[in-house]
Amino acid sequence: MSAVLKIDPVTRIEGHLSIRVTIDTVNGMQQVVDAWSTGTLFRGFEKMLLGRDPRDAQHITQRVCGVCPTPHAMAAVNALDNAYGVTIPVNALLMRNLVLGANFIQSHILHFYILSLLDYTSGADMPVWKPSYQTDMRIDSTKATQLFNNYVSALDMHRKAQEMGAIFAGRLPHTPAFLPGGITATPTSANITLFKSYLNQVISFINNVYIPDAEYVASVYSDYFDRGAGYGNLLSFGVFDKDVAGTSQFIRGGIAVGGSKTIQPLHINLITEDVTFSWYADSTNNLRPSAGDTVPQYPKANAYSWLKAPRYNNQPFEAGALSRMWINGDYREGISVMDRHLARAIEARKLTNKMKTWVNSIIPGQPVYAKHTPAVEADTFGLTEAPRGALGHWVQIRSSKISRYQIITPTCWNASPSDDSGSRGPLEMSLIGTPVINVREPIEILRVIHSFDPCLACAVHVMDTKDNSAIKISVL
Amino acid sequence: MAISRRDFLRYCSMSAVALGLSTTDLLNLEEALANPAGPSVLWLHGSGCSGCSISFLNRVSKTAPVSVADLLVNSINLVYHPTISAVAGEDAALLIDQTYKKGKYILVVEGGVPTAFGGNACIAWSSGGKDVTFRQAVTTLSSKASHILSIGTCSAWGGVSASGSNIAGVRGIKSFAAPKTVIHIPGCPPHPNWVVWAVGQILLNKTIQLDGAGRPVALFNRTVHDLCPRRDTEEASTFGIPGRCLEELGCRGPETYANCPTVKWNGGVNWCVGANSPCIGCTEPSFPGTASFYSEGDD
Repeated sequence: MSAVLKIDPVTRIEGHLSIRVTIDTVNGMQQVVDAWSTGTLFRGFEKMLLGRDPRDAQHITQRVCGVCPTPHAMAAVNALDNAYGVTIPVNALLMRNLVLGANFIQSHILHFYILSLLDYTSGADMPVWKPSYQTDMRIDSTKATQLFNNYVSALDMHRKAQEMGAIFAGRLPHTPAFLPGGITATPTSANITLFKSYLNQVISFINNVYIPDAEYVASVYSDYFDRGAGYGNLLSFGVFDKDVAGTSQFIRGGIAVGGSKTIQPLHINLITEDVTFSWYADSTNNLRPSAGDTVPQYPKANAYSWLKAPRYNNQPFEAGALSRMWINGDYREGISVMDRHLARAIEARKLTNKMKTWVNSIIPGQPVYAKHTPAVEADTFGLTEAPRGALGHWVQIRSSKISRYQIITPTCWNASPSDDSGSRGPLEMSLIGTPVINVREPIEILRVIHSFDPCLACAVHVMDTKDNSAIKISVL
Repeated sequence: MAISRRDFLRYCSMSAVALGLSTTDLLNLEEALANPAGPSVLWLHGSGCSGCSISFLNRVSKTAPVSVADLLVNSINLVYHPTISAVAGEDAALLIDQTYKKGKYILVVEGGVPTAFGGNACIAWSSGGKDVTFRQAVTTLSSKASHILSIGTCSAWGGVSASGSNIAGVRGIKSFAAPKTVIHIPGCPPHPNWVVWAVGQILLNKTIQLDGAGRPVALFNRTVHDLCPRRDTEEASTFGIPGRCLEELGCRGPETYANCPTVKWNGGVNWCVGANSPCIGCTEPSFPGTASFYSEGDD
């Protein structure tokens, strides 16, 4: 006998997500047989940037998300650096990477400990950690206490990662320091030394606490290596430029289809957005982000989400740390709930090790900002990665003002609804087949959802268009 | 691992001056903490980015190693917070409903209220097959709250969420909470110390004096420019020059009320102007405004 379960709100995510599933017994096992992912917040950043100074974009777009604002700043300034033809100073490249790196680390720590861990073990015996689910909790009370102590330490380390970033960012979240041409903050030997001291603490936590805890949870819940696979289509735009020419990146971009270990290059022109099941006018269906449009239409027959459905070559693709680590050859054990958590921990270690090199390469006294003449007209884009996955900003400038601005975020890829070919979004697909022991406590479903680290503030479409005319993207 | 109530009180007495607490206040605080029926807190997210919550998690004190966990364990009864709560769905909706029925809770609201599409631009939760819009949630939960704290500029006046042509019709929460008083702790994001200060005042049953914009006078009585260590330095004419006044580069410090120059950010490691970035005025009702953040002179 089938049942429909709606989980709204999904907690321990960023933003507003509602998940509806149909549960039925198949081959003697009660499990999810269908799933719908709904973004339940629409902010309409559309037109917010229209007519503004292009340099305002790095400030405004950071407010798309308070957990991952820095990647938005990076995408925004990268787009303008490209448009203005400015080569930023080496110091600026390093400091931007370090601030973005700090943002990655705080997000990874937040995700594992604060957002995900309570799916697998209990917190303290008081609100906000109680009430909690009891179903399928496999960790004994001694170990649970130890893990919760680490959760408390993680809150501290999350704060420290942001303090570390703020040394060059000024303030986190929402740094004001990024701008086209470089960064505003100036490095000194004192603040470099301070950064390194924080970095050592963070590295120690990653190696001695975070990775062991992730491996422990994965070992106790090893059946989750076989759950939540989804399509196995992985996508990365690449991030952390290695040189000021932007010719190569520390974490590379690319795509992998169906769990293949053969990595193919990414072609931007193959990205489109389907709105068949989204609360937007059908006249805007299947457009490339450079030529897209956002016309909210609510209500709309058959639609069920404020998220559009980004597709690559008409296929659903997953973005995130697992995609990045897979594409870069750092982690290819599998694609599942637990693989997503482990890939993230491994990326934290890889990234912080590299951050040591970056901070040691900064030269106090060298410039951080390159003066330049901003272009009056430009069509440009900035592609980067947020902790949760691939992020792109598409920008049009006319008469020195923003005339069009468009963003596709990682959670838009991951938590998207179905498209007109009937393909579910990656998160929806990953839920199919998830066993549910107790419909009253759908902990298995939460485990799958949280493995994607949904950020709904990002996912609900953020773009700005004036008209439907196709925009030529200059390939940079 | 959790700090005991005794340790929290010791922290308070050590940082009494910083917290603005007198000896009488400390005695009252001890009594408040001893009260098992201490105030419950419901924290809601509306149209926003969660930056206020992330900033709140960055809470640290220079005088004692008190983090947000210690506050959660020792001073408030945080019944529900969407980013932290263990349960989801119907169980979360039930928690909120139970707290509402008991009444006299502190309602903390982060994010603005969308009014477009019948309020369906933001669904707060779904219970028994029925969606509750954020507008309904704020209106209903305000009615039985003992105190209402609006956290962040979006919640106070719409902020970035309401900027531009505001298709979603986002507004601050005040009109939905009326006739109750709303305490505005603005900022994009607000400083965690401001939020914790407000909670502390509420625990001590103190009336918070508010300015014309609904902000605590105690926290927002000086402009950034008034307090700025760079006000007598020569203006920088371009970016990336340390230690100089940023007025020519668009700094909104002169018209922005906040104590950022003294409290500084992220454990005091830096602040916006400290990183040579002009202030963007994020605690003001007009934020973000339409003028460029880098334009010189009045907006």
